Amino acid sequence: MSLVSRLAARRVFGAGSVAALVVAVVVTTPHTAQAATSEGLLCDTNAQQTFSLTAEEGYISTPDGNSIYMWSYGNSSRGFQLPGPTLCVTSGQPVTVILHNTLREETSIVFPGQTGVKANGNPAQPELSSAGALTSLVQGAAATGGSITYTFTAGSPGTYLYESGTDVDKQVQMGMFGALVVRPAGSSAQVNNRPDSAFNPQHEYVFLLSEVDPDLHLAVERSQPINWPAYKARYFMINGRSMPDTLASNNASWLPNQPYGALVHIRPYDAVSNPLPAVIRYLNAGTVNYPFHPHGSDERVVNKDGQALEGPTGQDLSYQKYDLDVQPGQSVDALMDWRDVEHWDPVTNPIPTQIPAITDQLLVGTDTWFSESPYLGIKNPLPTTITSNNVCGEYYHIAHSHALEQATNYGATFGGMMTVFRIDPPAGCQAK
Amino acid sequence: MTENPTPRPLSRRTFLTAGAGVVGAAMIGSRLIAAPTAMASPRLLGAAVPSGRPQKQVHLAGTDGWVSMPQGAPADPPFFPDPLAPTGFNTYVFGFRNVTGMTSTQVAAQRGHAQISAPMLSFDQEDDVTITLTNLGLLQRPDLFDGHTLHWHGFVNAIPLFDGVPELSLAVPVGRDLSYFYRPHDAGTYMYHCHFEDVEHVQMGMTGMVFIRPSQNSSPVGTDPVGTKYAYNDGDGSTRYDREFAFMITELWSAAHYRDAHIQVSNWTDYDPSFWLLNGRGFPDTTQPNGDPNSTAAGRLQYQPISSLVTCNAGDRVLLRFSNLGYQNHAMTVDNIDLQIVAKDASLLKGRDGTTNYISTNTVDVGPGNSRDVIFQAPGPGEYLLYDRNYSYLENGGGPGYGGMMTKILVGAPGTYQPQTVANS
Repeated sequence: MSLVSRLAARRVFGAGSVAALVVAVVVTTPHTAQAATSEGLLCDTNAQQTFSLTAEEGYISTPDGNSIYMWSYGNSSRGFQLPGPTLCVTSGQPVTVILHNTLREETSIVFPGQTGVKANGNPAQPELSSAGALTSLVQGAAATGGSITYTFTAGSPGTYLYESGTDVDKQVQMGMFGALVVRPAGSSAQVNNRPDSAFNPQHEYVFLLSEVDPDLHLAVERSQPINWPAYKARYFMINGRSMPDTLASNNASWLPNQPYGALVHIRPYDAVSNPLPAVIRYLNAGTVNYPFHPHGSDERVVNKDGQALEGPTGQDLSYQKYDLDVQPGQSVDALMDWRDVEHWDPVTNPIPTQIPAITDQLLVGTDTWFSESPYLGIKNPLPTTITSNNVCGEYYHIAHSHALEQATNYGATFGGMMTVFRIDPPAGCQAK
Repeated sequence: MTENPTPRPLSRRTFLTAGAGVVGAAMIGSRLIAAPTAMASPRLLGAAVPSGRPQKQVHLAGTDGWVSMPQGAPADPPFFPDPLAPTGFNTYVFGFRNVTGMTSTQVAAQRGHAQISAPMLSFDQEDDVTITLTNLGLLQRPDLFDGHTLHWHGFVNAIPLFDGVPELSLAVPVGRDLSYFYRPHDAGTYMYHCHFEDVEHVQMGMTGMVFIRPSQNSSPVGTDPVGTKYAYNDGDGSTRYDREFAFMITELWSAAHYRDAHIQVSNWTDYDPSFWLLNGRGFPDTTQPNGDPNSTAAGRLQYQPISSLVTCNAGDRVLLRFSNLGYQNHAMTVDNIDLQIVAKDASLLKGRDGTTNYISTNTVDVGPGNSRDVIFQAPGPGEYLLYDRNYSYLENGGGPGYGGMMTKILVGAPGTYQPQTVANS
């Protein structure tokens, strides 16, 4: 409704969009452990499955120009980032995570779903004060320079959170969480041990969902007391970014502390040339259900909380959804594709209704993603007053939380927990 | 408000029974003008290609209007009741109307006469469906030039032009229209809504049910007689039903509706609903009969024409279709009747290997943007309640007593209720 906020949001969206998609920005990073990919999953991985994380403070930016004070985990050789590095490991193999703490208070990490978790060689267990009060869910690293080493055996294949176990409501809200991807031994291109969970490893995505109450972060930054009854999330994020920043490439230069994009970029399913689906690994590090709605395609839920959806003798209990409820602390692994069912073609199989004249319709803003054509791979001219972000007649569908106040940036529509699925023509995208 | 001057009043009921009856391209494209010369590409591919499939044409109009939350709800000044509301009404809304078959003059006369929930739509699998959306503008807010769109929520393998996301395709400006084309291949319970500034237009009431009847209806399984109805192509008759009732689940935040009427803006992250609705009505209005937005007979509920009263005979298999276009989770429950969830989000709960995974329960959680198909077998005659187990949603505007997201299931002795011709009757 509000025209001003609408245009403002649109302007930001347009500006981000051009840089994010039309110009393929690939920022070279010094981290050899990370695959140099501008889209999709960026894994921290190494043969020893040993990771050094530093708990530290930093700032992130939001699409409406805000700058927010956060705490998070950084790879100790790289520095602060939100969310923490995505750690990719193999099921059943030992993992070591060394935590260094530069925060001004104690912190720790819990690894739900992993087995045999130890802290400095001792079984992980809650910490109690001398009076018997619970002080941390797990042993932690002391404030301002403490360290602790966690070891565990990677759990069953799937996707997990790792997150702070100390002063959890504050520290997790401050940003102390990351994703842990556990791959099945010997079949890394499957979600779990079932062959029907196979995916195309070129199209693997983590969507780590979270929320931010900026007033709470300001209070922590200023060492003021937190007013918990007034808690109200205003920003809603995928991988630490809100729409339209979610569309920017991995390691986008203008988002130095938010390295992970959320653009899904696929081609239509084809039984011969493109048979495998993409996988999206949803995680909820927030406080409420995030009902995530992908447009244009159902998604098949094959794994939840690191467990395959199967019966006692291997029956397939996966199911299709057009809106995936992701509850706090939960992970949902979903296979997705998009199928060109009708094969519309302007000559041989035209859409049997009147195609609208674009000048009769409303294009919001000064730029558009739309190809001005219903046909995949066909791009039509635009009025000269409108800038096209469309490259080759590719399709774009949005995907977003359907608790629609979460699909806003502090209330401004078409933001927040939202991203875009890009579908290129079957033969690829040649600029037109 | 006066009765709409419509010689052919078309209620939801009429539409549902009309089915393929309203065929013809008369209104399709009638408001479209030829592409200007700047648009060089061939866009006027208008001639329909005979597909051999049933052709279904629907005409919807998007506009604003006024509705009535339940009587007795406490005042919440200045938001509720809205002082601008015409007599009998108390809440400003946006919404859709079904204007299929109306003349252009009649269509234009619906400006300012939106209904909630939106008209209930149903089609058969493999129909060719053309839905024309006309944007009539906002009578109360002539300063706003909001577009409207049609987003068929859950339609599988959609293409952007017909997905209704204005930022990724087109929106319909005030005074114009756009025809959306669909060829549904997957039976089930869906929903539709406007996606223009979605957080606002969905909350304001532009939300409705759409369901697709399976092709299995024309070739019953086993010994089931011709005419047997199924919710899905189940292959085994397990989704057979005798009667069906559909429920659009929404919440209504009075302050936001007031601000829209009074040229103010809402911060949507402050979302704090006041009313919890089934098919646009709060209990006890939910149990009132179906109405007709073209008739004043229903008084204050004229523009909330869809009943949520469930009526069935002992032993009937009853299908409940739930779709949630609110922003909260809802836990729909029935005391003393077991429920079986057979589908979520228009997908039958069967694995790729055919394993049936239906869920027996007494409470059905429906998240925002989700749908559920639930079947129960009607027990002995009596009166049962269907309600949201979140008790704080069983009130009207914070007032005393029972209200909100609740309705009744009336079970009669066999033969009490005649066979159903349309949903929710």
